[in-house]
Amino acid sequence: MSEEQSEHLAASIVEFCRFLREKGLSADLRRTITALEATKMGGVGDRRLLAYALQASLCSTREEWEMFPRLFEEFWSESYSRPRSASGEHQGSSQSNPRRSQQEEEACSTVFTDQTGGSDAAQDGDGKAAFGASAHTRLKKVDFSEVRCDDLAMLEELSLRLLRRMSLRLSRRSAPSNLADRVDLRRTIRRSVGNGGDLIDLVRKGRKPRKNKLVILLDISGSMNFYSLFLLRFAYALQSCFHRVDTFLFSTDLVEVSDLLRTRHLPEALRKLSQRRAGWSGGTKIGGSLRQLNQLHGRKLLSRETVFVILSDGWDTGEPELLAAQLRTTRRRVRKILWLNPLLGLKDYRPITRGMAAALPYVDVFAPAHNLESLMALERHL
Amino acid sequence: MSPKPTQLEDEPIRDPDSLMRNFERLGYIADRSLATAVFLITKLHKPLLIEGHAGLGKTEVAKVLASMLDTQLIRLQCYEGLDISSSAYEWNYQKQLLAIKIQEAAGQTVEEKEKHIFSREFLFERPLLQSILAQDVSPVLLIDEIDRADEAFEAFLLELLSDFQITVPEMGTIKAKHVPYVILTSNRTRELSDALKRRCLYHWIDYPSLEKEMRIVRVRLPGMEEQLGMQVGRFVQAVRKLGLEKPPGVAETLDCARAVAALGSSRVDAEVIEQTIGCVAKSMEDGAKINAAGINNLLAQAS
Repeated sequence: MSEEQSEHLAASIVEFCRFLREKGLSADLRRTITALEATKMGGVGDRRLLAYALQASLCSTREEWEMFPRLFEEFWSESYSRPRSASGEHQGSSQSNPRRSQQEEEACSTVFTDQTGGSDAAQDGDGKAAFGASAHTRLKKVDFSEVRCDDLAMLEELSLRLLRRMSLRLSRRSAPSNLADRVDLRRTIRRSVGNGGDLIDLVRKGRKPRKNKLVILLDISGSMNFYSLFLLRFAYALQSCFHRVDTFLFSTDLVEVSDLLRTRHLPEALRKLSQRRAGWSGGTKIGGSLRQLNQLHGRKLLSRETVFVILSDGWDTGEPELLAAQLRTTRRRVRKILWLNPLLGLKDYRPITRGMAAALPYVDVFAPAHNLESLMALERHL
Repeated sequence: MSPKPTQLEDEPIRDPDSLMRNFERLGYIADRSLATAVFLITKLHKPLLIEGHAGLGKTEVAKVLASMLDTQLIRLQCYEGLDISSSAYEWNYQKQLLAIKIQEAAGQTVEEKEKHIFSREFLFERPLLQSILAQDVSPVLLIDEIDRADEAFEAFLLELLSDFQITVPEMGTIKAKHVPYVILTSNRTRELSDALKRRCLYHWIDYPSLEKEMRIVRVRLPGMEEQLGMQVGRFVQAVRKLGLEKPPGVAETLDCARAVAALGSSRVDAEVIEQTIGCVAKSMEDGAKINAAGINNLLAQAS
């Protein structure tokens, strides 16, 4: 290959990496350099080998790996000495996205817009703090579905504060270490050098307590309408005290929202959340959603350190057998399954819906989640 | 089942295709994309991360590479709680204590004593350190199932993988004379950190096509009857489509073929499969699923 040609190829590869980044791959600078080095090696002669070499250098997950061949074809469909201009053409396609998501936003943001409207109205009277402790006690016990519009802002503030306190308590709890009596020879000897080699202090080491992982599956179907918003907040608050929290929403389909919740600013996260396509207020297929979770994320997320939390009322329109089978699969992988059911707060509720009855044998903790007090009580199970 | 002595091409890694042919001679069927990735390890001296389901020959890649290059294979099996003292180095404490006692009378200063007991002579070399201490030729370092080790260990690996050096606080930094060829494997039980992935080339091993699987069976089980192997291969391919919890990999195909051959039957029918079901289904539920789909049905699909 002549020098001019190889320079041309290098320019095309840089352009190609930019194209990949636009398509959502993380072909960053370091990988770009690797790709350039890889193609400079002799032996990567024909086009297929070039594709493989670029694939090995630029991808780093299975998803990227599987997207790559199509993207490669798209970019290099002409001879690779004359690549298409990636920048111009593909900006067009990315601009069409916002338009689509705007429609979606209108379609599915009702849950959140209602909510902001409510809090705006309530913010007029700041003097409400005068309600003091008694109001707080009342609000802690009130069922989320019965919150009056003007109480909403206060309840929200209270919930954030209380839940934050809970995460502090959780993180201060330490597990007793039964290995604390192992002698740390390395440190012991280092220290002994100063005494001329006499072992005076034995240094011991224990095992660091490990934080658990938490996977939350939140029902956002129609029947959960009143609760899902508060429970989402609950999920958000829990993030600070677990090693890792992964949150999924489901109604008939499963949507992962962990990335959105991993931000410092909750209102922003909620706004973005409303733009994500999810079946807000739709039907419920718990079994099917759980199967999706097990298949797509099971190996990665479910392990012996995982506490698995399902927040749902158990009104399932799918097959109860499927739900039971999937829950059994999950149960075998995780440390504990918690099922939080807002309806359990009702005095005469009995878990006899077909879905709930099928699920109960595999659930370790079945608890209510209809008001703040019940959420706070969960701390001892986590 | 060590491969019989084989004639390799003179220059085993001239280009990906010659590497692929040499792998085949050593009993490993690699496709061109894997061959390209392995070729790049040897040229760029970058680690290669291989991900894929269990039983598809991830670990085998390192073994074959080592035997092709006629070099040492150093293997580190990862597990939860793996730490530096069992992966990189550890001081020989007993020997250090003895040395301190012996030196007592020797009127050396504390500094001299310290320098003495923290020298190479008192160091246990674990796999990672071994891999960079190789004296004459680059070894192959296999870091197996990296996803099982915890994040702290992953962070420690970063220094090794980008600079091929290990820092021992008491001694200083040890740099590799011959950069090892590093292969990491992962079953994707957890997501690896981005920093680690950025330092690696990447390859995803998927289930093989029937044609490739048959080539593997032929290479690995030379005495196998062609027809029998074909039936087993087709059956396993059909089972993979059932969506089992642990779909059978190539290792299971080979087990199953061996089992069928050991039973001495001339063709694969429902009865034979039932006897060898344990080779393919690795849990009670998976076995039940295969039975529910009907072994005869699967065999019919297969032929």
